[in-house]
Amino acid sequence: MGILTDSQNKRSPSSSSTSPCANLRAAYHNCFSRWYSEKFVKGQWDKEECVSEWQKYKACLSQHLEDKQLSRFLEAEGPVSSTIEVASSRTTKTDDAPTGSSQ
Amino acid sequence: MVKAYTQEYTYKHPWERVTSASWKKFADPENKRTLSHILEVDTLNHKLDPSTGKLYTTRAITVHSPGPWFVRKIVRQDVCHCVESTVVDAKTRSMQLTTNNISLEKFIEVEEKIRYDPHPENPDGWTICRQETSIRIKPLSALASMAEKVEQRCAERFVQNSAKGREVMERICKYLEAESKGLARS
Repeated sequence: MGILTDSQNKRSPSSSSTSPCANLRAAYHNCFSRWYSEKFVKGQWDKEECVSEWQKYKACLSQHLEDKQLSRFLEAEGPVSSTIEVASSRTTKTDDAPTGSSQ
Repeated sequence: MVKAYTQEYTYKHPWERVTSASWKKFADPENKRTLSHILEVDTLNHKLDPSTGKLYTTRAITVHSPGPWFVRKIVRQDVCHCVESTVVDAKTRSMQLTTNNISLEKFIEVEEKIRYDPHPENPDGWTICRQETSIRIKPLSALASMAEKVEQRCAERFVQNSAKGREVMERICKYLEAESKGLARS
Protein backbone atom coordinates (compact mmCIF):
# COMPACT_ATOMS: atom_id res chain seq x y z
CA MET A 1 0.00 0.00 0.00
CA GLY A 2 3.06 2.19 -0.18
CA ILE A 3 2.28 5.72 -1.02
CA LEU A 4 5.40 6.12 -3.07
CA THR A 5 5.25 2.92 -5.06
CA ASP A 6 4.32 3.03 -8.69
CA SER A 7 0.77 2.32 -9.58
CA GLN A 8 1.24 -1.22 -10.85
CA ASN A 9 -1.81 -2.53 -9.08
CA LYS A 10 -4.01 0.16 -10.50
CA ARG A 11 -7.50 -1.19 -10.86
CA SER A 12 -10.53 0.01 -12.73
CA PRO A 13 -8.62 1.19 -15.76
CA SER A 14 -10.94 4.01 -16.69
CA SER A 15 -8.85 4.48 -19.77
CA SER A 16 -8.64 8.03 -20.95
CA SER A 17 -6.71 9.64 -23.74
CA THR A 18 -3.61 10.14 -21.62
CA SER A 19 -3.51 6.61 -20.16
CA PRO A 20 -0.66 5.57 -22.49
CA CYS A 21 1.48 8.15 -20.66
CA ALA A 22 0.82 6.67 -17.21
CA ASN A 23 4.32 5.27 -16.73
CA LEU A 24 6.06 8.42 -17.92
CA ARG A 25 3.73 10.45 -15.74
CA ALA A 26 4.57 8.33 -12.69
CA ALA A 27 8.29 8.67 -13.39
CA TYR A 28 8.02 12.43 -13.69
CA HIS A 29 5.75 12.73 -10.69
CA ASN A 30 7.99 10.68 -8.41
CA CYS A 31 10.97 12.77 -9.43
CA PHE A 32 9.09 16.05 -8.99
CA SER A 33 7.74 15.00 -5.59
CA ARG A 34 11.18 14.17 -4.33
CA TRP A 35 12.64 17.43 -5.65
CA TYR A 36 9.79 19.41 -4.12
CA SER A 37 10.02 18.00 -0.60
CA GLU A 38 13.78 17.47 -0.41
CA LYS A 39 15.00 20.59 -2.18
CA PHE A 40 12.45 23.21 -3.16
CA VAL A 41 10.81 23.71 0.23
CA LYS A 42 14.22 23.64 1.88
CA GLY A 43 15.42 26.68 0.00
CA GLN A 44 17.18 25.00 -2.92
CA TRP A 45 15.07 26.48 -5.68
CA ASP A 46 17.87 27.72 -7.92
CA LYS A 47 17.77 24.76 -10.27
CA GLU A 48 14.97 22.86 -11.90
CA GLU A 49 15.31 19.08 -11.92
CA CYS A 50 13.56 16.14 -13.54
CA VAL A 51 14.02 17.79 -16.93
CA SER A 52 14.41 14.60 -18.98
CA GLU A 53 11.45 12.95 -17.18
CA TRP A 54 9.38 16.01 -18.02
CA GLN A 55 10.44 16.09 -21.68
CA LYS A 56 9.43 12.46 -22.19
CA TYR A 57 6.15 12.83 -20.37
CA LYS A 58 5.31 16.03 -22.19
CA ALA A 59 6.08 14.52 -25.60
CA CYS A 60 3.68 11.70 -24.77
CA LEU A 61 0.99 14.11 -23.65
CA SER A 62 1.26 16.18 -26.77
CA GLN A 63 0.57 13.01 -28.73
CA HIS A 64 -2.36 11.78 -26.71
CA LEU A 65 -4.10 14.76 -25.25
CA GLU A 66 -7.32 14.93 -27.19
CA ASP A 67 -8.98 17.90 -25.62
CA LYS A 68 -8.07 20.98 -27.67
CA GLN A 69 -8.47 23.35 -24.78
CA LEU A 70 -6.10 21.33 -22.65
CA SER A 71 -3.48 20.97 -25.35
CA ARG A 72 -3.37 24.75 -25.61
CA PHE A 73 -1.92 24.83 -22.11
CA LEU A 74 0.64 22.24 -23.06
CA GLU A 75 1.74 24.22 -26.10
CA ALA A 76 1.81 27.43 -24.12
CA GLU A 77 5.18 26.60 -22.65
CA GLY A 78 7.93 28.27 -24.62
CA PRO A 79 11.53 27.08 -24.62
CA VAL A 80 11.13 23.34 -25.30
CA SER A 81 8.47 23.63 -27.97
CA SER A 82 10.91 22.94 -30.80
CA THR A 83 11.14 19.31 -29.72
CA ILE A 84 7.40 18.86 -29.81
CA GLU A 85 5.45 18.27 -32.97
CA VAL A 86 2.66 20.77 -32.69
CA ALA A 87 -0.52 19.34 -34.10
CA SER A 88 -0.77 20.72 -37.61
CA SER A 89 -4.48 21.34 -37.50
CA ARG A 90 -4.66 24.51 -35.53
CA THR A 91 -8.39 24.78 -35.63
CA THR A 92 -9.71 28.00 -34.30
CA LYS A 93 -12.60 26.89 -32.25
CA THR A 94 -15.88 28.41 -33.22
CA ASP A 95 -18.68 28.75 -30.79
CA ASP A 96 -20.53 25.61 -31.70
CA ALA A 97 -22.05 23.64 -28.90
CA PRO A 98 -22.49 19.97 -29.71
CA THR A 99 -24.03 19.28 -26.35
CA GLY A 100 -26.02 22.48 -26.06
CA SER A 101 -29.54 21.27 -26.42
CA SER A 102 -30.96 24.52 -25.21
CA GLN A 103 -30.30 27.09 -27.87
CA MET B 1 -26.74 33.54 -9.23
CA VAL B 2 -23.68 32.36 -7.39
CA LYS B 3 -23.41 29.83 -4.64
CA ALA B 4 -20.23 30.26 -2.65
CA TYR B 5 -18.94 28.68 0.48
CA THR B 6 -15.72 28.58 2.41
CA GLN B 7 -14.08 25.98 4.59
CA GLU B 8 -11.15 26.16 6.93
CA TYR B 9 -9.09 23.30 8.24
CA THR B 10 -5.96 22.99 10.35
CA TYR B 11 -3.40 20.30 9.65
CA LYS B 12 -1.18 19.58 12.61
CA HIS B 13 1.77 19.19 10.30
CA PRO B 14 4.27 21.76 9.04
CA TRP B 15 3.63 23.62 5.81
CA GLU B 16 6.43 21.82 3.94
CA ARG B 17 4.87 18.43 4.67
CA VAL B 18 1.31 19.48 3.92
CA THR B 19 2.17 21.00 0.56
CA SER B 20 4.24 17.92 -0.33
CA ALA B 21 1.15 15.87 0.48
CA SER B 22 -0.92 18.09 -1.75
CA TRP B 23 1.25 17.14 -4.73
CA LYS B 24 0.91 13.44 -3.89
CA LYS B 25 -2.82 13.57 -3.30
CA PHE B 26 -3.87 12.26 -6.72
CA ALA B 27 -0.89 10.00 -7.38
CA ASP B 28 -1.27 7.01 -5.09
CA PRO B 29 -3.53 4.08 -6.08
CA GLU B 30 -4.72 3.84 -2.48
CA ASN B 31 -6.12 7.34 -2.78
CA LYS B 32 -7.64 6.65 -6.15
CA ARG B 33 -10.22 4.52 -4.45
CA THR B 34 -11.14 7.27 -2.01
CA LEU B 35 -11.01 9.99 -4.63
CA SER B 36 -12.78 7.92 -7.26
CA HIS B 37 -14.28 11.02 -8.86
CA ILE B 38 -10.80 12.01 -10.06
CA LEU B 39 -10.05 10.10 -13.25
CA GLU B 40 -6.86 11.63 -14.49
CA VAL B 41 -4.39 14.31 -13.45
CA ASP B 42 -1.77 15.52 -15.89
CA THR B 43 0.80 18.25 -15.55
CA LEU B 44 0.51 20.52 -18.57
CA ASN B 45 3.29 22.92 -17.82
CA HIS B 46 5.39 24.27 -15.02
CA LYS B 47 7.83 27.06 -14.46
CA LEU B 48 10.31 27.73 -11.73
CA ASP B 49 11.46 31.28 -11.09
CA PRO B 50 14.88 30.76 -9.49
CA SER B 51 15.23 34.40 -8.50
CA THR B 52 12.07 34.53 -6.39
CA GLY B 53 11.60 30.90 -5.37
CA LYS B 54 8.19 30.71 -6.99
CA LEU B 55 6.93 27.61 -8.71
CA TYR B 56 4.04 27.84 -11.18
CA THR B 57 2.25 24.70 -12.29
CA THR B 58 -0.74 24.03 -14.51
CA ARG B 59 -2.47 20.68 -14.35
CA ALA B 60 -5.42 19.12 -16.10
CA ILE B 61 -7.84 17.34 -13.83
CA THR B 62 -10.47 15.07 -15.31
CA VAL B 63 -13.42 14.58 -13.03
CA HIS B 64 -16.03 11.87 -13.36
CA SER B 65 -19.75 12.56 -13.17
CA PRO B 66 -19.78 16.15 -12.07
CA GLY B 67 -22.93 17.15 -10.29
CA PRO B 68 -26.16 15.27 -9.68
CA TRP B 69 -27.69 12.79 -12.12
CA PHE B 70 -30.28 15.15 -13.53
CA VAL B 71 -27.51 17.52 -14.55
CA ARG B 72 -25.65 14.71 -16.32
CA LYS B 73 -28.83 13.88 -18.14
CA ILE B 74 -29.12 17.39 -19.49
CA VAL B 75 -25.51 18.04 -20.34
CA ARG B 76 -25.09 14.49 -21.72
CA GLN B 77 -21.51 14.24 -20.62
CA ASP B 78 -20.15 12.40 -17.63
CA VAL B 79 -16.58 13.63 -17.72
CA CYS B 80 -15.50 17.15 -16.99
CA HIS B 81 -12.09 18.70 -17.60
CA CYS B 82 -10.73 21.22 -15.15
CA VAL B 83 -7.58 23.27 -15.13
CA GLU B 84 -5.72 23.77 -11.89
CA SER B 85 -3.14 26.54 -11.54
CA THR B 86 -0.81 26.43 -8.59
CA VAL B 87 1.64 28.99 -7.28
CA VAL B 88 4.02 27.96 -4.53
CA ASP B 89 6.10 30.66 -2.91
CA ALA B 90 8.89 28.94 -1.04
CA LYS B 91 10.14 32.20 0.45
CA THR B 92 6.92 33.30 2.11
CA ARG B 93 5.72 29.69 2.47
CA SER B 94 2.41 29.90 0.72
CA MET B 95 0.67 27.64 -1.75
CA GLN B 96 -2.34 28.69 -3.75
CA LEU B 97 -4.36 26.47 -6.03
CA THR B 98 -7.14 27.68 -8.30
CA THR B 99 -9.25 25.22 -10.24
CA ASN B 100 -11.78 26.05 -12.94
CA ASN B 101 -13.86 23.83 -15.16
CA ILE B 102 -13.18 24.19 -18.86
CA SER B 103 -15.78 21.76 -20.11
CA LEU B 104 -19.51 22.26 -19.51
CA GLU B 105 -18.63 25.93 -19.28
CA LYS B 106 -21.78 26.85 -21.14
CA PHE B 107 -23.82 25.45 -18.31
CA ILE B 108 -21.91 26.00 -15.17
CA GLU B 109 -18.82 27.72 -13.81
CA VAL B 110 -17.10 26.28 -10.80
CA GLU B 111 -14.08 27.85 -9.21
CA GLU B 112 -12.27 26.35 -6.29
CA LYS B 113 -9.48 28.16 -4.50
CA ILE B 114 -7.32 26.52 -1.90
CA ARG B 115 -4.57 28.17 0.13
CA TYR B 116 -2.08 26.51 2.41
CA ASP B 117 -0.32 28.85 4.84
CA PRO B 118 1.63 28.34 8.06
CA HIS B 119 -0.83 28.49 10.96
CA PRO B 120 -0.48 31.86 12.78
CA GLU B 121 -0.55 30.12 16.17
CA ASN B 122 2.12 27.60 15.31
CA PRO B 123 3.80 28.60 12.04
CA ASP B 124 6.46 25.88 12.13
CA GLY B 125 4.24 23.04 13.25
CA TRP B 126 0.76 23.55 11.77
CA THR B 127 -0.77 24.53 8.48
CA ILE B 128 -4.01 26.29 7.84
CA CYS B 129 -5.99 25.42 4.74
CA ARG B 130 -8.60 27.81 3.42
CA GLN B 131 -10.89 26.65 0.70
CA GLU B 132 -13.35 28.76 -1.21
CA THR B 133 -15.68 27.38 -3.82
CA SER B 134 -18.12 29.22 -6.00
CA ILE B 135 -20.67 27.66 -8.30
CA ARG B 136 -22.50 29.62 -10.91
CA ILE B 137 -25.12 28.35 -13.31
CA LYS B 138 -24.97 30.27 -16.54
CA PRO B 139 -28.13 32.24 -17.19
CA LEU B 140 -30.06 31.12 -20.27
CA SER B 141 -28.52 27.66 -20.16
CA ALA B 142 -30.62 24.52 -20.06
CA LEU B 143 -30.00 24.42 -16.33
CA ALA B 144 -31.04 27.99 -15.58
CA SER B 145 -34.61 27.18 -14.61
CA MET B 146 -33.42 24.90 -11.85
CA ALA B 147 -30.28 26.79 -11.06
CA GLU B 148 -30.83 26.94 -7.36
CA LYS B 149 -31.38 23.23 -7.02
CA VAL B 150 -28.40 22.38 -9.19
CA GLU B 151 -26.14 24.73 -7.26
CA GLN B 152 -27.29 23.26 -3.99
CA ARG B 153 -26.68 19.69 -5.12
CA CYS B 154 -23.31 20.54 -6.59
CA ALA B 155 -22.31 22.28 -3.39
CA GLU B 156 -23.26 19.20 -1.35
CA ARG B 157 -21.12 17.07 -3.59
CA PHE B 158 -18.18 19.44 -3.28
CA VAL B 159 -18.42 19.33 0.49
CA GLN B 160 -18.41 15.51 0.41
CA ASN B 161 -15.45 15.43 -1.92
CA SER B 162 -13.41 17.94 0.03
CA ALA B 163 -13.92 15.84 3.17
CA LYS B 164 -12.50 12.89 1.24
CA GLY B 165 -9.65 15.10 0.08
CA ARG B 166 -8.77 16.02 3.66
CA GLU B 167 -8.86 12.39 4.71
CA VAL B 168 -6.35 11.57 1.98
CA MET B 169 -4.17 14.56 2.91
CA GLU B 170 -4.07 13.48 6.54
CA ARG B 171 -3.09 9.98 5.53
CA ILE B 172 -0.23 11.18 3.32
CA CYS B 173 0.98 13.61 6.00
CA LYS B 174 1.16 10.76 8.52
CA TYR B 175 3.07 8.67 6.03
CA LEU B 176 5.53 11.50 5.30
CA GLU B 177 5.96 12.10 9.02
CA ALA B 178 6.82 8.46 9.62
CA GLU B 179 9.14 8.51 6.66
CA SER B 180 11.02 11.58 7.89
CA LYS B 181 11.40 10.06 11.36
CA GLY B 182 12.71 6.89 9.79
CA LEU B 183 15.26 8.89 7.86
CA ALA B 184 16.22 10.88 10.92
CA ARG B 185 16.91 7.73 12.90
CA SER B 186 19.15 6.04 10.38
